[in-house]
Amino acid sequence: MLILSRKSNESIVIDGRIRVKVVRVEGDVVKIGIDAPSDVPVHRLEVYEEIQSSNKQAVTRPSAPLPKFPLPKLVPLAKSQPSANHKKTQIA
Amino acid sequence: MNCECETMTESATGLVTELRIPSGLLGFERMKDYLLIARPGEEPFQWLQVNGDPSLAFVVVDPFLVLPDYRPDIPQAEADSIGLQSASDAVLLNIVTLHNTGRATVNLKGPIVVNRHSGVAKQIVIANATEYSVRHPLPEAETIA
Repeated sequence: MLILSRKSNESIVIDGRIRVKVVRVEGDVVKIGIDAPSDVPVHRLEVYEEIQSSNKQAVTRPSAPLPKFPLPKLVPLAKSQPSANHKKTQIA
Repeated sequence: MNCECETMTESATGLVTELRIPSGLLGFERMKDYLLIARPGEEPFQWLQVNGDPSLAFVVVDPFLVLPDYRPDIPQAEADSIGLQSASDAVLLNIVTLHNTGRATVNLKGPIVVNRHSGVAKQIVIANATEYSVRHPLPEAETIA
Protein backbone atom coordinates (compact mmCIF):
# COMPACT_ATOMS: atom_id res chain seq x y z
CA MET A 1 0.00 0.00 0.00
CA LEU A 2 1.26 3.47 -0.87
CA ILE A 3 1.38 5.66 2.22
CA LEU A 4 1.60 9.45 1.90
CA SER A 5 1.78 12.08 4.63
CA ARG A 6 -0.61 15.01 4.16
CA LYS A 7 -1.57 18.01 6.28
CA SER A 8 -4.95 19.71 6.50
CA ASN A 9 -5.99 21.21 3.17
CA GLU A 10 -3.44 19.15 1.26
CA SER A 11 -4.62 16.78 -1.46
CA ILE A 12 -3.64 13.85 -3.57
CA VAL A 13 -4.78 13.15 -7.11
CA ILE A 14 -5.55 9.69 -8.46
CA ASP A 15 -5.56 8.89 -12.15
CA GLY A 16 -5.61 12.60 -12.98
CA ARG A 17 -9.32 12.85 -12.23
CA ILE A 18 -9.96 11.96 -8.60
CA ARG A 19 -8.88 14.44 -5.94
CA VAL A 20 -8.79 13.45 -2.30
CA LYS A 21 -8.30 16.27 0.17
CA VAL A 22 -7.70 16.17 3.91
CA VAL A 23 -10.25 18.76 5.00
CA ARG A 24 -9.72 18.64 8.75
CA VAL A 25 -8.10 16.50 11.44
CA GLU A 26 -9.83 16.43 14.83
CA GLY A 27 -8.33 13.97 17.28
CA ASP A 28 -8.67 10.53 15.68
CA VAL A 29 -11.24 11.72 13.10
CA VAL A 30 -10.05 12.78 9.66
CA LYS A 31 -12.52 14.59 7.40
CA ILE A 32 -11.79 13.78 3.78
CA GLY A 33 -13.18 15.54 0.72
CA ILE A 34 -13.38 13.61 -2.54
CA ASP A 35 -13.86 15.12 -5.98
CA ALA A 36 -14.53 12.35 -8.46
CA PRO A 37 -16.44 12.06 -11.74
CA SER A 38 -20.04 10.91 -11.26
CA ASP A 39 -19.28 7.50 -12.77
CA VAL A 40 -16.81 6.76 -9.97
CA PRO A 41 -18.72 5.37 -6.99
CA VAL A 42 -17.27 6.38 -3.62
CA HIS A 43 -18.39 4.58 -0.47
CA ARG A 44 -17.34 4.09 3.12
CA LEU A 45 -15.63 0.71 2.92
CA GLU A 46 -17.47 -0.97 5.80
CA VAL A 47 -20.93 -0.07 4.44
CA TYR A 48 -19.90 -1.08 0.93
CA GLU A 49 -18.65 -4.46 2.18
CA GLU A 50 -21.77 -5.01 4.25
CA ILE A 51 -24.05 -4.45 1.24
CA GLN A 52 -21.81 -6.47 -1.08
CA SER A 53 -21.86 -9.37 1.36
CA SER A 54 -25.64 -9.06 1.77
CA ASN A 55 -26.10 -9.15 -2.03
CA LYS A 56 -23.96 -12.28 -2.30
CA GLN A 57 -25.99 -13.96 0.40
CA ALA A 58 -29.26 -12.91 -1.24
CA VAL A 59 -28.58 -14.23 -4.74
CA THR A 60 -30.81 -17.21 -5.40
CA ARG A 61 -32.39 -19.37 -8.07
CA PRO A 62 -36.00 -18.48 -8.84
CA SER A 63 -37.45 -21.95 -8.37
CA ALA A 64 -39.85 -22.75 -5.54
CA PRO A 65 -42.67 -20.36 -4.75
CA LEU A 66 -41.77 -17.77 -2.16
CA PRO A 67 -42.89 -18.28 1.42
CA LYS A 68 -45.90 -16.12 2.26
CA PHE A 69 -44.40 -13.30 4.26
CA PRO A 70 -47.36 -11.26 5.43
CA LEU A 71 -46.74 -7.67 4.43
CA PRO A 72 -49.50 -5.20 5.17
CA LYS A 73 -50.24 -2.99 2.19
CA LEU A 74 -51.60 0.07 3.93
CA VAL A 75 -51.30 -0.16 7.70
CA PRO A 76 -47.90 0.21 9.32
CA LEU A 77 -46.36 -2.91 10.81
CA ALA A 78 -47.12 -3.37 14.50
CA LYS A 79 -43.91 -3.61 16.50
CA SER A 80 -44.79 -6.41 18.89
CA GLN A 81 -48.03 -7.98 17.78
CA PRO A 82 -49.53 -8.78 14.41
CA SER A 83 -51.88 -6.17 12.99
CA ALA A 84 -55.52 -6.88 12.21
CA ASN A 85 -54.56 -7.04 8.55
CA HIS A 86 -51.94 -9.65 9.36
CA LYS A 87 -54.48 -11.90 11.16
CA LYS A 88 -56.93 -11.64 8.29
CA THR A 89 -54.26 -12.73 5.84
CA GLN A 90 -53.37 -15.73 7.98
CA ILE A 91 -56.97 -16.93 8.16
CA ALA A 92 -57.36 -16.57 4.41
CA MET B 1 -32.83 14.36 -2.35
CA ASN B 2 -35.17 13.06 0.30
CA CYS B 3 -36.99 10.24 -1.44
CA GLU B 4 -40.62 9.68 -0.59
CA CYS B 5 -41.23 7.57 -3.63
CA GLU B 6 -44.57 6.11 -4.56
CA THR B 7 -45.19 2.43 -4.03
CA MET B 8 -45.02 0.35 -7.14
CA THR B 9 -48.44 -0.63 -8.36
CA GLU B 10 -47.55 -1.56 -11.91
CA SER B 11 -46.19 -4.88 -10.67
CA ALA B 12 -49.71 -6.13 -10.00
CA THR B 13 -50.18 -6.56 -13.73
CA GLY B 14 -47.52 -9.28 -13.70
CA LEU B 15 -45.47 -7.69 -16.44
CA VAL B 16 -41.84 -8.44 -17.04
CA THR B 17 -39.86 -5.21 -17.10
CA GLU B 18 -36.35 -4.82 -18.45
CA LEU B 19 -33.99 -2.92 -16.19
CA ARG B 20 -30.53 -1.64 -16.98
CA ILE B 21 -28.13 -1.25 -14.05
CA PRO B 22 -25.01 0.29 -15.65
CA SER B 23 -22.82 0.01 -12.55
CA GLY B 24 -24.20 -3.41 -11.56
CA LEU B 25 -25.15 -4.46 -8.04
CA LEU B 26 -22.43 -4.31 -5.38
CA GLY B 27 -20.48 -7.55 -5.73
CA PHE B 28 -22.10 -8.19 -9.13
CA GLU B 29 -20.63 -5.28 -11.05
CA ARG B 30 -20.38 -7.17 -14.35
CA MET B 31 -24.07 -7.97 -14.60
CA LYS B 32 -25.90 -4.96 -15.93
CA ASP B 33 -29.06 -6.22 -17.61
CA TYR B 34 -31.93 -7.52 -15.54
CA LEU B 35 -35.54 -8.60 -15.86
CA LEU B 36 -37.97 -7.56 -13.15
CA ILE B 37 -40.52 -10.35 -12.91
CA ALA B 38 -43.73 -10.41 -10.89
CA ARG B 39 -45.00 -13.98 -10.51
CA PRO B 40 -48.70 -14.44 -9.76
CA GLY B 41 -49.44 -15.03 -6.09
CA GLU B 42 -46.11 -13.67 -4.89
CA GLU B 43 -47.04 -10.01 -4.62
CA PRO B 44 -45.68 -7.75 -3.30
CA PHE B 45 -42.40 -9.58 -3.97
CA GLN B 46 -40.77 -9.57 -7.37
CA TRP B 47 -37.74 -11.24 -8.88
CA LEU B 48 -34.81 -9.31 -10.24
CA GLN B 49 -33.22 -11.83 -12.57
CA VAL B 50 -30.01 -11.43 -14.53
CA ASN B 51 -31.05 -11.17 -18.18
CA GLY B 52 -29.45 -14.13 -19.89
CA ASP B 53 -28.74 -16.11 -16.70
CA PRO B 54 -31.97 -17.32 -15.09
CA SER B 55 -30.00 -19.02 -12.30
CA LEU B 56 -28.98 -15.63 -10.89
CA ALA B 57 -31.82 -13.77 -9.27
CA PHE B 58 -32.73 -11.65 -6.30
CA VAL B 59 -36.02 -11.31 -4.49
CA VAL B 60 -36.95 -7.64 -4.20
CA VAL B 61 -39.69 -5.75 -2.44
CA ASP B 62 -41.03 -2.23 -2.17
CA PRO B 63 -39.40 -1.11 1.10
CA PHE B 64 -42.31 1.12 2.09
CA LEU B 65 -44.45 -1.99 2.56
CA VAL B 66 -41.88 -3.31 5.02
CA LEU B 67 -41.21 -0.04 6.83
CA PRO B 68 -43.75 2.70 6.08
CA ASP B 69 -41.50 5.28 7.78
CA TYR B 70 -38.51 4.44 5.56
CA ARG B 71 -36.83 7.70 4.55
CA PRO B 72 -33.75 6.88 2.49
CA ASP B 73 -31.53 9.87 1.82
CA ILE B 74 -30.44 9.51 -1.80
CA PRO B 75 -27.46 11.73 -2.66
CA GLN B 76 -28.24 14.21 -5.44
CA ALA B 77 -25.31 12.99 -7.55
CA GLU B 78 -26.74 9.46 -7.43
CA ALA B 79 -30.21 10.68 -8.42
CA ASP B 80 -28.66 12.64 -11.29
CA SER B 81 -26.66 9.60 -12.46
CA ILE B 82 -29.87 7.76 -13.39
CA GLY B 83 -31.65 10.85 -14.67
CA LEU B 84 -34.12 11.39 -11.82
CA GLN B 85 -35.74 14.84 -11.99
CA SER B 86 -37.94 14.35 -8.94
CA ALA B 87 -38.75 11.74 -6.33
CA SER B 88 -41.87 10.73 -8.27
CA ASP B 89 -39.62 9.49 -11.12
CA ALA B 90 -38.20 6.83 -8.79
CA VAL B 91 -39.26 3.39 -7.73
CA LEU B 92 -37.37 1.68 -4.93
CA LEU B 93 -36.65 -2.03 -4.85
CA ASN B 94 -34.83 -3.50 -1.87
CA ILE B 95 -33.16 -6.90 -1.92
CA VAL B 96 -34.58 -9.63 0.29
CA THR B 97 -32.39 -12.39 1.72
CA LEU B 98 -34.09 -15.73 2.36
CA HIS B 99 -32.26 -17.37 5.25
CA ASN B 100 -31.98 -21.11 5.87
CA THR B 101 -33.99 -20.66 9.05
CA GLY B 102 -37.05 -19.77 6.97
CA ARG B 103 -36.81 -16.15 8.05
CA ALA B 104 -36.21 -13.35 5.60
CA THR B 105 -34.56 -9.97 5.88
CA VAL B 106 -34.45 -6.93 3.65
CA ASN B 107 -31.48 -4.66 2.97
CA LEU B 108 -32.52 -1.11 3.81
CA LYS B 109 -29.02 0.43 3.50
CA GLY B 110 -28.64 -0.21 -0.22
CA PRO B 111 -31.90 0.24 -2.15
CA ILE B 112 -32.00 -0.22 -5.91
CA VAL B 113 -33.34 3.06 -7.22
CA VAL B 114 -35.13 2.74 -10.57
CA ASN B 115 -35.96 5.53 -12.97
CA ARG B 116 -39.51 4.44 -13.78
CA HIS B 117 -39.47 6.17 -17.15
CA SER B 118 -36.19 4.85 -18.56
CA GLY B 119 -35.76 1.56 -16.65
CA VAL B 120 -32.24 2.64 -15.69
CA ALA B 121 -31.39 1.76 -12.11
CA LYS B 122 -28.62 1.85 -9.56
CA GLN B 123 -27.95 0.28 -6.19
CA ILE B 124 -27.26 3.23 -3.94
CA VAL B 125 -25.69 3.42 -0.51
CA ILE B 126 -28.05 5.86 1.20
CA ALA B 127 -26.47 8.81 2.98
CA ASN B 128 -28.32 7.89 6.20
CA ALA B 129 -27.26 4.22 6.04
CA THR B 130 -26.37 4.23 9.73
CA GLU B 131 -30.08 4.63 10.56
CA TYR B 132 -31.06 1.38 8.84
CA SER B 133 -30.12 -2.28 8.87
CA VAL B 134 -28.77 -4.34 6.02
CA ARG B 135 -30.79 -7.21 7.56
CA HIS B 136 -34.12 -5.70 8.56
CA PRO B 137 -36.40 -8.63 9.49
CA LEU B 138 -39.58 -9.35 7.53
CA PRO B 139 -42.57 -10.65 9.48
CA GLU B 140 -42.48 -14.42 9.86
CA ALA B 141 -43.92 -16.43 6.97
CA GLU B 142 -47.33 -17.99 7.30
CA THR B 143 -47.15 -21.72 7.70
CA ILE B 144 -49.27 -23.76 5.33
CA ALA B 145 -51.26 -26.31 7.32
